Amino acid sequence: MVKHIQEQLRVTGGNISIDEASLVSQARAGNMASVEKLILKYQDRIYNTILKMCGNDADAAELAQDAFVKAIGGLKDFKGESSFYTWLFRIAVNLTLNFCKKNSRVSFQSLNDEIDEDSNRQLKDYLLDKKAVDPSELAAKKEVSGLILKALEKLEPQQRAVVVLRDIEQMSYNDIAETLEIEIGTVKSRIARGRKNLREILEAAVQ
Amino acid sequence: MKDMELVEELLNSYIDGELDERKSNEVKRLIDNDPKARRLFNSLNRYKKLMGSMLPAAAPEGFSESVSRRLERQALLADTGVYHHKAGLRHLILRRFVTAAAVIVLMAVLSIIVFDIFVPKSSRDKLVSSALGRKQKPQVLYEKPFPDAKTAQDEAVPVPLPKTATVPMVAKLTLFTDSPVETDWLIGKALMNTGLFDKTTAVDRKTDSVRYVLNCSRDSLVNLAQELSFIWPKCTDTTLEIGTEQTGKYITVKNITAQQTLEICKADNYNQRIRMANDMAMINNVMAPDILQKYFAQQNADSDLLVPEKPVLTSTEKTEQPKSDSTSGNVNLTITVIGR
Repeated sequence: MVKHIQEQLRVTGGNISIDEASLVSQARAGNMASVEKLILKYQDRIYNTILKMCGNDADAAELAQDAFVKAIGGLKDFKGESSFYTWLFRIAVNLTLNFCKKNSRVSFQSLNDEIDEDSNRQLKDYLLDKKAVDPSELAAKKEVSGLILKALEKLEPQQRAVVVLRDIEQMSYNDIAETLEIEIGTVKSRIARGRKNLREILEAAVQ
Repeated sequence: MKDMELVEELLNSYIDGELDERKSNEVKRLIDNDPKARRLFNSLNRYKKLMGSMLPAAAPEGFSESVSRRLERQALLADTGVYHHKAGLRHLILRRFVTAAAVIVLMAVLSIIVFDIFVPKSSRDKLVSSALGRKQKPQVLYEKPFPDAKTAQDEAVPVPLPKTATVPMVAKLTLFTDSPVETDWLIGKALMNTGLFDKTTAVDRKTDSVRYVLNCSRDSLVNLAQELSFIWPKCTDTTLEIGTEQTGKYITVKNITAQQTLEICKADNYNQRIRMANDMAMINNVMAPDILQKYFAQQNADSDLLVPEKPVLTSTEKTEQPKSDSTSGNVNLTITVIGR
């Protein structure tokens, strides 16, 4: 088995970790225990990323399941040129972007209604740097996180994907470029524009 | 504007730790020296911290089991051949194809039904023939309901010699009257009485004329001719045109009387009809209308002069019966009432 994994590493140029390579190899051979391990390893991250992109629990669960089924069902096509992680995220993000395209809802509703006065004041103070507010305390508030999700929904899907992968999933620029199959320069410009737009949306919401 | 975008990109990359050492130092210097860049950096930092503080959502319970179940089901279906992606695709294409074919067939059937309901039979036959590229058989004696629509092509069709026994009768009766309304009413009544109202294929009403076109049997025509005899006193001028075997050629009998009309209608076959029409045309041409009226008034009192009576059979000898053309629908009559 070790020999096989080493061979796999040689073939793929080392883009895949040994643990992951062995799991992927066993999963490809039909080992359901390995499949389950792969699912357990990535399910929360995939679900969280999709949820932040589509903003709906039920849709996120369905899309995440679809992503795993598609990824594991298509393991024979996985050549190991990228890591299983970026390959799985590519499938998940593409499924979500297609879903968003088909179900795009244009919301004209103001975000002001999404948040109570106290949270609104705290978020405003934080964003405008008027008072020292703990960001983790602020983000833990259900209303504030709900408002951020709504603000994310207002971004263009491509910008949203980049912002979520970077700021929520903490992916590197290289991994984002690989996942979305775009140039690194495009990643940089989309991140800059996406964050700027998001900042403006949030600041407008708390005014 | 471009510079500002570049600065923003650099600041974002700096915050994300994506710059090499040299560029990082440049950005650091920019932040230290440019208050605007510093403000933007702080704002971006705050934003990044806020986003990074958002609690990650965990996948719902039983998520991995659901995925495993779906995968197992997929594998099972692929093994048993119940479902295969390509087979499914073929099935889908086949279903779409069958659906499209069914829709086309349904549309065709509906079109035929609508065509059958709304398009008259004569036009229908013509359309079908032209659609199939068939040359229409020359319609020798059946004229179109309204001759205005006649094309030059029709006239150019060479006409074969007639099979007299089967040549149907085509006639055009034109009645000139001072009381068109009353005459029209009488014609309508005559058609009703003879049950021919339903067989009237076209009625063309204009301000000064009414035209009826009907197809019927010879017997019905005789009945109609008898009914129409009441109209003659209302007419100032009458003309009967009898169609010949040549398309568009008619024998015109001017100043025709009701009795003459009836006799022509009674004619057993084509030859007899044409002979009678020729005789009547000649007689009526040489005689002044008033003399003719008087003449026929006298003749009506006695018997028919113009038409020789049929020989009476005195024994059981068999005579060759002329083939009758009195089958249903072999008379095409156009009655035109013109008001003066």
